[in-house]
Amino acid sequence: MSAGIQAAWYGFVFLVFPGFLFTAVAGLLASWVDRFVTARVQWRVGPPPAQPLYDVIKLLGKEIIVPESGNRAVFFAAPLAAFAAALAISPILWIPLLGGESFIGDLIVVAYLLLIPPVCLILGGFASGNPLAALGASREMKLILAYELPFLASLATAIARNGFSILISDLVRRPPVIGSLSGALAFVGALLCVQAKLGYTPFDVAEAETEIIAGPLVEYSGALLALWKLAQSMMLFILPVFVVAVFFGGINLGGWGLLWVVPEYVLVLALIVVIKNTNPRVRIDQAVKFFWRGLFPLMAAAFVLAVIGRTYGIPWL
Amino acid sequence: MAVNLFPIPFLLPLAAGIVVLLIPRPVKWVRESLALLATALTFAAALLILIHGSPELRIALIRLGDFALDFDLVATPLGSFILVFAAGFGFLVCLYSLPYMAGKAGRREYYAFLLFVVAGSACVLLADHLLLFLIGWEVVTLSLYFLVTTGGPEAREGATRAFVMLGAGDGCLLLGIGILWFLQKTFTMSGLRLPVDGWLPGLAFLLMLAGAIAKAGAMPLHTWIPAASRGAPASVMALLPASIDKLLGIFLLVRLSTGIFALGPGMGTVLMIIGSVTVIAAVMVAMVQHDLRQLLSYHAVSQVGYMMLGIGTLTPIGLAGGLFHMLNHSIYKSCLFLSAGAVEREAGSTDLDELGGLAKAMPATFTACLVAALSISGVPPFNGFVSKWLVYQGTIESGSPVAFLFLVTVMFGSGLTLASFMKVIYAVFLGKTSERTRAVKRETSAAMLVPMAVLALLCIAFGVFYAFPLTHLILPGIGVPIGIAGIWNSPLAAAFLAGGFVLGLLVLLAGRIGTGMRRASAFVGGEKVGARVSERVAASRFYDTIRSLPLLGRIYDAQERGVFDPHVQVGRLGASLVGVLRRLHAGNLLWYLAWSLMGMAVFLALFVFLR
Repeated sequence: MSAGIQAAWYGFVFLVFPGFLFTAVAGLLASWVDRFVTARVQWRVGPPPAQPLYDVIKLLGKEIIVPESGNRAVFFAAPLAAFAAALAISPILWIPLLGGESFIGDLIVVAYLLLIPPVCLILGGFASGNPLAALGASREMKLILAYELPFLASLATAIARNGFSILISDLVRRPPVIGSLSGALAFVGALLCVQAKLGYTPFDVAEAETEIIAGPLVEYSGALLALWKLAQSMMLFILPVFVVAVFFGGINLGGWGLLWVVPEYVLVLALIVVIKNTNPRVRIDQAVKFFWRGLFPLMAAAFVLAVIGRTYGIPWL
Repeated sequence: MAVNLFPIPFLLPLAAGIVVLLIPRPVKWVRESLALLATALTFAAALLILIHGSPELRIALIRLGDFALDFDLVATPLGSFILVFAAGFGFLVCLYSLPYMAGKAGRREYYAFLLFVVAGSACVLLADHLLLFLIGWEVVTLSLYFLVTTGGPEAREGATRAFVMLGAGDGCLLLGIGILWFLQKTFTMSGLRLPVDGWLPGLAFLLMLAGAIAKAGAMPLHTWIPAASRGAPASVMALLPASIDKLLGIFLLVRLSTGIFALGPGMGTVLMIIGSVTVIAAVMVAMVQHDLRQLLSYHAVSQVGYMMLGIGTLTPIGLAGGLFHMLNHSIYKSCLFLSAGAVEREAGSTDLDELGGLAKAMPATFTACLVAALSISGVPPFNGFVSKWLVYQGTIESGSPVAFLFLVTVMFGSGLTLASFMKVIYAVFLGKTSERTRAVKRETSAAMLVPMAVLALLCIAFGVFYAFPLTHLILPGIGVPIGIAGIWNSPLAAAFLAGGFVLGLLVLLAGRIGTGMRRASAFVGGEKVGARVSERVAASRFYDTIRSLPLLGRIYDAQERGVFDPHVQVGRLGASLVGVLRRLHAGNLLWYLAWSLMGMAVFLALFVFLR
């Protein structure tokens, strides 16, 4: 492939599929599903599918208010970097899933890239010069510490079930991880961690609208807030896709695959939304205790089960 | 190259250092320019040796039977690439010191011992003779002591502690070399390849390992780094514990585990356990520190864990990762210490509670520090991520389920590192200004900014274009080609990130058409936010939630009492032993006479029965 064609190909991958256009549209749709299901749970009608897009467009037209006491450069760079990271994860996750080139450890790379948007949220909150934002950002950091331990352990279980392969492309060729006791346990754990990664109730301690007025986002307005919303919607698409890929045996779009993948994704998303709508917010110390003392031992047990299952050839373990 | 360049990196700084010591009342700047010139030339010579190679140099000095002391220098690919960086750090720190040390006392010793450090590390890195190696090693240890003491009276205690611990490590190294000589009757490093099968080779390995981990600062021989950081100049911390000591310690570790000894998986697992424990324990301590220097020095301990883990996997890729992490660590950690020095110089403190909001006055320092902080936290696409990724891969390839325990532990350690540096960024650069930082109006001096900028750029370059250092420096260094099936396409990911940034900027600009921007005071539920101290969110309290967890809290308390500090524990043991002797010396003449008689009786008995 000549350099020109390759550049054009990467441009397409980046801008259209599975990059910007696809992820943004899917993310906005996912955030509509979120709002729709929430509305149904609360016995309301819910917004039309394009409502999240209207919201972003509306925000783009509003003026930007910059806090006097903050650091302007970081305040502006944080949402841009979060958006860029959400955009960059998408091709790195999708290309191997769709049968393209995979590289050793890409699973670990994606797990690392997923951390960039929360880090940007923290930096943005710190740069706002607002005590509530600083408080929220510090909570977000503690929340990352809390969920990252069980999240990594649940990924380790999935990797063990996959024959200790850390290639995303290998996920497609193996039986689904969730079809075993350890895999099912790890799935539940990973789902709860994703809940926290998305900042959804019961783990919305960092933003906590009724308590610290959206925490790190309190000073953001106008186009900057639009970028945050866009990046968060994209993560709302990417994170469940990651969970589906890891635990449901990859993403197979060929043949009947599409008929499976979409319901699987919607199921995971709906589970997240239902958990969000049926639980009260926990305090940050409760969240840390839940993830470290409750979930992590469970995930460690799942890993041990998976290793025993592999060593002694028990497929259901 | 016909000219033998070998003696230059070793003799030039040594000579320059002696001259600096001898100049009695110097003309202004003569020491500084001499040191700068000597380090620059050393760096150039090291670069030439790396590129062109150099014939080996063997001069026999003393021979007594089997015992031989030779002046043998050989440019191994590993040694000569590390030498380039050691000399480079010497030069950058020297440049930084011009304004940083200006007007401080003890500059003569400072520059002289800085040059001796460079000479000593050249000797260590090029030596092919174990005793020559040891001499260079000792020169670096001794110079560290004198360099730390230039920090003033409050640095003395830390300097002594560092010297005691490193001295103990060096003693172990000497014992190990002795056993090695006893077993093999040779000191030539390139000729040695000893399988660790019996208890004696095993003991030799463990003793020499103790020397290496004391120098690199892994647990449990790490406490000298935080102790030294209390008073030492920041530039000394950047030069020694952050970079050169790591380079030398890990260099020895690699030589031990791949050259001098042939390790089995058992010893590899020992290294991996030490590595993982070091990562997690040190970073937990680092997180709750209130002082920037202390925090950074605990991270200098924690990061060694990744290197040991990588080397302990005994897989080529893990080894490459460990070495690469050594290189990356010395780059970003010295950048961090240098920016801490800049902050200290301008704001007059490194106490996190007294700092804040410096990003406005010192944007360049802030940027360098942010890049280094993201690198040490392993955020892609910076350099720390690449080497951690290699280490992780090596860990998985080492192939046991237990390795996953190490993997999850150190990946989580990486998250804790991130948390710790978010705290630093907030407490020092963002956040609310304090009384101290409001007085800071200007960026620090250019000669201090240049080294920081160079190191920050290296962080980005080695992260995005990591293939260059990996294939040209690291892989020739370990001498094993690794086949990597598909590799992390860092340039592409960086391009995606940059593209995303530009795209976001376009969205932002599209949104701003026709609307304005307004500055307003921060919104706190309608209340006015003043500049009062009580309204600052104290960064040092960020992780109190974690510190106060029941079990962890007790461990933290024990750590602060020095339960895990071998210096304190050995001190207590020594004190209790001496206590017994002290009780015997009651000052009563009759007792002394009785003891002497008893001693004579014992000797008599021995002479009679052993005849």
